[in-house]
Amino acid sequence: MIDEVLRRNSREVLKKEKHPLDIRAELPRMVEEGYERVSEEDLVRLQWHGVYHDRPKSGGFMLRVKLPGGILAPSRLAAIGEIAERFGRGYGEITTRQDLQLHSIAMKDLEEIFITLERSGMTSLGACGDVVRNITGCPLAGISKRELFDVRVLVTELTHFFEGNREYSDLPRKHKITVSACPDQCNVPEIHCQAFVGILRGDERGFALRLGGGLSTVPRLSQNLGVFVPFEETLEVARATLDVWKDDPSNRRSFAKARLKFFLDKIGPEEYRGRIEEKLGRRLDSLDVIPPPPAESTHLGVQEEKRAGLYSVGFPVSAGRFDGRAMIRVAKIAARFGDDIRLTRQQNLIVTGIPERDVDRVRREVETSGLPVGNDLAGRGIACTGGPHCNFALTETKGRLVEIQNRLHAELGNDAAGIHIHLDGCPHACGHHWTGDIGLMGTTQRRESGERVEAYSVILGGGRGAQAAIGRPVIRRILAENVADRLVALVRAYRDSGARSFREFNDRTDEQALVSLLAGPDFSRPSSSLSSKTDSSETETS
Amino acid sequence: MNAVDPTDFLDELEAGELALEFEDQGPSEILTWGLRRFPRSLALVTSFQIEGMVLLDLAIQIDPDVRVLTVDPGKLPAETLEFIDKVRHRYGVRVEVFRPREEEVRGMVQNYGENLFYHDVSSRLLCCHVRKVRPLTRGLRGLNAWVTGLRRDQWASRANVLKLEIDHDHDGIAKLNPLADWTNEDVESYARKHDVPRHPLYEKGYTSLGCAPCTRPVRPGEPLRAGRWWWEKNAPKECGIHCALETGNLEREVEHLLEESPRDLSDQTTRQQPTEAS
Repeated sequence: MIDEVLRRNSREVLKKEKHPLDIRAELPRMVEEGYERVSEEDLVRLQWHGVYHDRPKSGGFMLRVKLPGGILAPSRLAAIGEIAERFGRGYGEITTRQDLQLHSIAMKDLEEIFITLERSGMTSLGACGDVVRNITGCPLAGISKRELFDVRVLVTELTHFFEGNREYSDLPRKHKITVSACPDQCNVPEIHCQAFVGILRGDERGFALRLGGGLSTVPRLSQNLGVFVPFEETLEVARATLDVWKDDPSNRRSFAKARLKFFLDKIGPEEYRGRIEEKLGRRLDSLDVIPPPPAESTHLGVQEEKRAGLYSVGFPVSAGRFDGRAMIRVAKIAARFGDDIRLTRQQNLIVTGIPERDVDRVRREVETSGLPVGNDLAGRGIACTGGPHCNFALTETKGRLVEIQNRLHAELGNDAAGIHIHLDGCPHACGHHWTGDIGLMGTTQRRESGERVEAYSVILGGGRGAQAAIGRPVIRRILAENVADRLVALVRAYRDSGARSFREFNDRTDEQALVSLLAGPDFSRPSSSLSSKTDSSETETS
Repeated sequence: MNAVDPTDFLDELEAGELALEFEDQGPSEILTWGLRRFPRSLALVTSFQIEGMVLLDLAIQIDPDVRVLTVDPGKLPAETLEFIDKVRHRYGVRVEVFRPREEEVRGMVQNYGENLFYHDVSSRLLCCHVRKVRPLTRGLRGLNAWVTGLRRDQWASRANVLKLEIDHDHDGIAKLNPLADWTNEDVESYARKHDVPRHPLYEKGYTSLGCAPCTRPVRPGEPLRAGRWWWEKNAPKECGIHCALETGNLEREVEHLLEESPRDLSDQTTRQQPTEAS
C-alpha cells in the first residue's frame, strides 16, 4: 500500500523526502539562493508554517497568523498591525477560520516575522498544510451570557497538543476542528471535519460529535456520530477520531479523496464510531439527537456579557479587509476601555469587556476607524482572498462583495437585511459559496470580441445551522459587472414575495423565475439558462 | 460536424462528484464515460507525445470516430509533422489542425524578433500564447469537452490535477485527464504492450516534445521536462495550455506579466491609420 501511495500521490512523496516542519531551518539558505531557485516542493513545505505563494509567483507570500478560537489580546492585534505596516501591504484579512492573514511578505523577512509573532505569543505554525488547522469556535466563548459553558480551556488544550506535533503534522490532508457551546451553533459545525457541539446532559458538560463536513468542489455536510463526549475527554476523542482517518493508508492514495469526509462516505458513521471506540478501548455513550440551534447569530452589535456590567460590541469588517493602522487603533481602544478582541468566522471583529458607560464611546471610536456602519449585509457576507493575491482565483472578490452589498443596501435598505452572501473567486469554496443564502462562484466568460472577463455562477438554496444545506447552481457565468444589478432584481422579488426569509423565497419560487431574474432583461431563451456560450445577454457590453 | 449543443454543460456539483468517482477508475472507463456523455463534442487534444498516443490507442477501441485535435504552432520539428501522418495512417483518424493567426505572428516577429523566446520568460510566454494557446482556444470553442494527457507526476504544479475538471479558462467546458494518476512507467509499459507508435525524437533523447527551437534532449537524471525552455531558471515548464486551477493559472500569469510590460502585437505593414472621423 505504501508503495502504491508514493507512486500515485506526489504530495506524500514530498512530505516523506523532507518533513515540512523542518523547512524553516532552511530559510537562510533559500533567502541566500534567491526566490527563483527555491524548488516548488520547498514552497509547498512552507505552507506548514502558514506561508503560501501570492500571485503572481514573483516572490511575495501570504502569511496566515493562527488565532485559536479567534481570541487575541489587544497587544497582539497591534503587533500584527505593525507587521502588516512594516513588512506587508499595510492591511490584513480576517479569515473564515478566525485567523488574520497578510500579503506581499518577502521571503527574507519571514524569519524575523516568525520571531516577532512568537515574542507576542502567536504563531503561524499549522495555519496551512496537512495539519490540524486553527481550532475555531464561538467568538464569544467564555463571556457569552447564552453559552452553555466555557470551552476556552479545550481550545487551548487541543491547540497545544496538535501544534507542531510531528505525529500529527503529516496528515493525509488538512483537518478542521471546531469546539463550541454556543446554543446558536454560530461556528457552523456542519462544515467541519470534526465538530464538538456543546450539550448539557443534566448538569454534565459534554459534546455531541459531528463528523465529515467540508466544502471545496465536493461539498458534504457533517453527520451526527450519535455519541456523547464528556468535556474532559474531548482531546482524547478528537485524537482517536483523527487517528482512525490518518492511520488508514487508503486515505493517502489520492490527494483528491484524502479529506475525512470521503472516508466517512466510504465506511459510514456507525463503522466510524466503532473504530473510534476500538482506538479508545471503550464504548462511548449514545446521544441520538442534537438540539437544533434556535437562531442564526453573527454576534454583532452590543451584547451583555455574563461578566456583570460588561458588554461586547461586534463590528462588521467589509469582506474581512482590515487596515493595519485600523488594527493598531482598535487595539488601543480595546486596551483602554475593554478586555480582548475576537475575530468571527464571518470575517468580523468584536471588542469585549466594555463597561456600560463606555459602550457608546467605543462604538464611535471603532466606527471612525473606517469600518462600515449600519449595513446589515456587511456583517453577514464572506469573500475569499481572491484576486489579485490568490494563485487559484479567477476573479477579484472582496471589492466585488462590497460593491454588491452597497448596491443592495442603497436600493433596498432593510429589505435586504438578513441575507448572507458568500462570494468565491474559484470553485474551491474558501468563501463557502455552497452555504450562503446567495452563493457566488467566480469563473470567466468571453465577450464576443474574445476578451476574457470575470464572471460568476450563482448558487441558491444554501444555508447554515438549523437550515444547513448545500445550495444548487442556478445560473452560470453572469458577467461580474452585472452581478449587483441581477441581485438587486432577485432581492426585490424576494421583498415583493412576502416570504419570511430568503430561504423560504428560494424554496417556493419556480426555478425558471429565479433563472429569469438572474439572467437579466435581455434573457429570452430559458432553455439555455445553464449554458453560456450562446447566452447573448452575457456577451454584450452594457 | 461541429454541432455543439450549447446547453450541454456539466454542473459544478456533478463534475465534483464524478471526479471523485474517477479517482478509482482507469483511463478506459473515463474515456468511455466522456465519449458517451459528449458524443461528437469531445476531442482528444494532443501534440502526439506518448501520453496522447496511449490515449488515442485507448479511445479508438471505444469509438473509432473519436475526434483528434492538434495545434501546429508553425515551429514543429519535421519529425513531428511526419509522425502525424504516420498516426493518421495507422489509426485511420482525421486530425483537426489549428494554427496561429498569420497577422498575429507577423506582428510579434516584427516587434520582438523571430527568436524572442530566448530573451526572457515573458517573451517566451508571449510566443507560447500567440502560437499555441490562442489557436488551441479557437479549437476548443467547438467542443464541450477535451481530453488531455496531463499526469500528476510530470511537474509539481500538476500534482493536484483531477481526472475531470471544469475548465474555467475555456468557456467552462469539461476537461478530462484520464492518465492523471499514471506514472511514466505505466504509460511506457502500455505503449510497449500495445505497440503504440512512438514519436521518433524519443529515440534521440527527447523526453518532452514541443516546438523545435524550444525543445532539446535531456541528460540522464534530469527531470523529464528539463528539455523544455532549458535556458530559463526555475520558471514553470508550462506554456499556458494546461492552466487548470491546480496548475497555477499560467494563462492568467501570462496576462499579468504582459500587463506589466504591455506588448504590441500590431502588424505595422497592415495597420490602418486612424481616419479623421474617428
